[in-house]
Amino acid sequence: MNKKCLAPLLIAVTLALAGCKSDKNGSYTDMGADNGTLPNGDKVDLSGGIPPTRPGGDFNPDKDVNYGTLESDTVYFAFDSSTIPGAERAKLAAAAEWLKANPGHALFLAGHADKRGTPEYNRALGERRALAVREYMVGLGLPAASLFTNSYGSDRPAVQGDTEQAYAKNRRVQIGVIVQK
Amino acid sequence: MTDLKLSHSIPRILLLAVVAGFFSATAQAQVVVNPSVLVRVGITPLTGGEGRMATEVLGADLKRTGMISPVDGGSGEYAASGEVTDSGVTGKLVNKKSGEEVFSQTFSGKARAATHLFADAITKAVTGLPGFASSRLAFVSDSSGAKELYLGDIDGYGVRAITHDGVISASPSLNHDATKLTYTSYKSGYPDIYLIDLSSGGRNRIAFFPGINSGPSFSPDGSQIAMTLSKDGNPEVYVMPTSGGTPVRITRTRGAETSPSWSPTGDRLVYSSDDRGSPQLFISSSTDVSEMDHLVTGNSYCTKPDWSPDGKLIAFTTRIGGQFQIGVFDVASRNAHLITTSGGEDPAWTADSRHLVYSNNGRLYLLDVVSHQSLPIETSVSGAGEPTVSR
Repeated sequence: MNKKCLAPLLIAVTLALAGCKSDKNGSYTDMGADNGTLPNGDKVDLSGGIPPTRPGGDFNPDKDVNYGTLESDTVYFAFDSSTIPGAERAKLAAAAEWLKANPGHALFLAGHADKRGTPEYNRALGERRALAVREYMVGLGLPAASLFTNSYGSDRPAVQGDTEQAYAKNRRVQIGVIVQK
Repeated sequence: MTDLKLSHSIPRILLLAVVAGFFSATAQAQVVVNPSVLVRVGITPLTGGEGRMATEVLGADLKRTGMISPVDGGSGEYAASGEVTDSGVTGKLVNKKSGEEVFSQTFSGKARAATHLFADAITKAVTGLPGFASSRLAFVSDSSGAKELYLGDIDGYGVRAITHDGVISASPSLNHDATKLTYTSYKSGYPDIYLIDLSSGGRNRIAFFPGINSGPSFSPDGSQIAMTLSKDGNPEVYVMPTSGGTPVRITRTRGAETSPSWSPTGDRLVYSSDDRGSPQLFISSSTDVSEMDHLVTGNSYCTKPDWSPDGKLIAFTTRIGGQFQIGVFDVASRNAHLITTSGGEDPAWTADSRHLVYSNNGRLYLLDVVSHQSLPIETSVSGAGEPTVSR
């Protein structure tokens, strides 16, 4: 779980350690500190995650998002998981290419869960799915400022019903294009 | 996946221990020695214009406690009588063994509400436990097409929709005296937290950070609200004053923390976290980021905890064999057991720490965790879920 978070973390830690070297001659000598706070060091946020943002103005996610353009890039998840399955990643690469080819646009990532489980946990699960997709797309080189998120938990299923097939279609992140006014 | 040690019924010894626990905490409790014997309260029909209705309500309230058997006036260990007036109910309770008057008191309000207060006073006097007849009930229902908030009495009377927004409303929490309700609404298009003053109907948006703002829960005294915010990049638990102000962060993990519920003393929170892979229950301080105490239930999927008002039990929703059931965790012994077998979600304790209101397939139920009796709460609203009760 959360293995994907380790790569950026390692990079961040490596960068932080590199930053601890003394400014001029490139030699770091003070090994005395044993409490994790070296001289001139700082702290990395171990909880990870890129803080979400909301578009400004009178943006309304119910009215100002077009989910048609990138409908085929909807990403599906396993039960109770916010890890993007390997087979789904090509869709995100395709969506990232679309955004690079259409500069000035922004994407809206809508996270959903299937109906099983308590509504509150499902809302957080949908949020984690949307944030995981955002983080992955930032890793593909998209600016975080062009990627907005929301979670609808289990309240907006794509398919009604109590079958595993229906559930699988509902555990998803939809990728919408924010309509420019 | 994990070895399920949850039994489908409370072992007899534990059951007695729980009951004994209830009563040891209430040394002033009279009469009740053997918990399997109901206290019989004889009801002389209440007088006054609405006396007939009040008598029926009183009997139903006392029966619902699971500890009292309402009987005809003249029999029983206690005698209850009263008069319904324009301003309330004047009620009297007599201990027939000693011949002493336990109380004679006027409960103000409309006949039905005042009768509930009378029932709670009798319950307190004869069992030592607070009654819940006067508690209010709120929940969500999608019966109108959108998830709206509903409010009524805990016996299902007078339930009506209090929002008509046509958007998702979720996770209501009533404060102790049902003067305020906080919940999640997508009115802005995003999940934000709102506070409703139930005397005036005034509604304010109190948390609307980027990301989700959800699952608010009143502290026992109503002065603070715990909630889930994802503003810092991940769904975490925060606490903010009900009067407004900066939320204080309580958890810091890479998982999602949801559904915080307060200890009766207000110094700790129990919540669900999937930081270890699947959702589990944890307790930590309600004032800052601190060590998380994992409540081992023997089940890999545990969400929506609710801490009992007496502090002894934590009810939660758990997933077993693909079905959702209600479990109870004993805080002192750290043992968990199942208390439903035919499904249930979103448990909420009543004031006596003996009953749970929960939902199952769109209906609400009242469950006695000692007798395991579950009774439907009759309302005209279908598609109900996420109940909360004042206590």
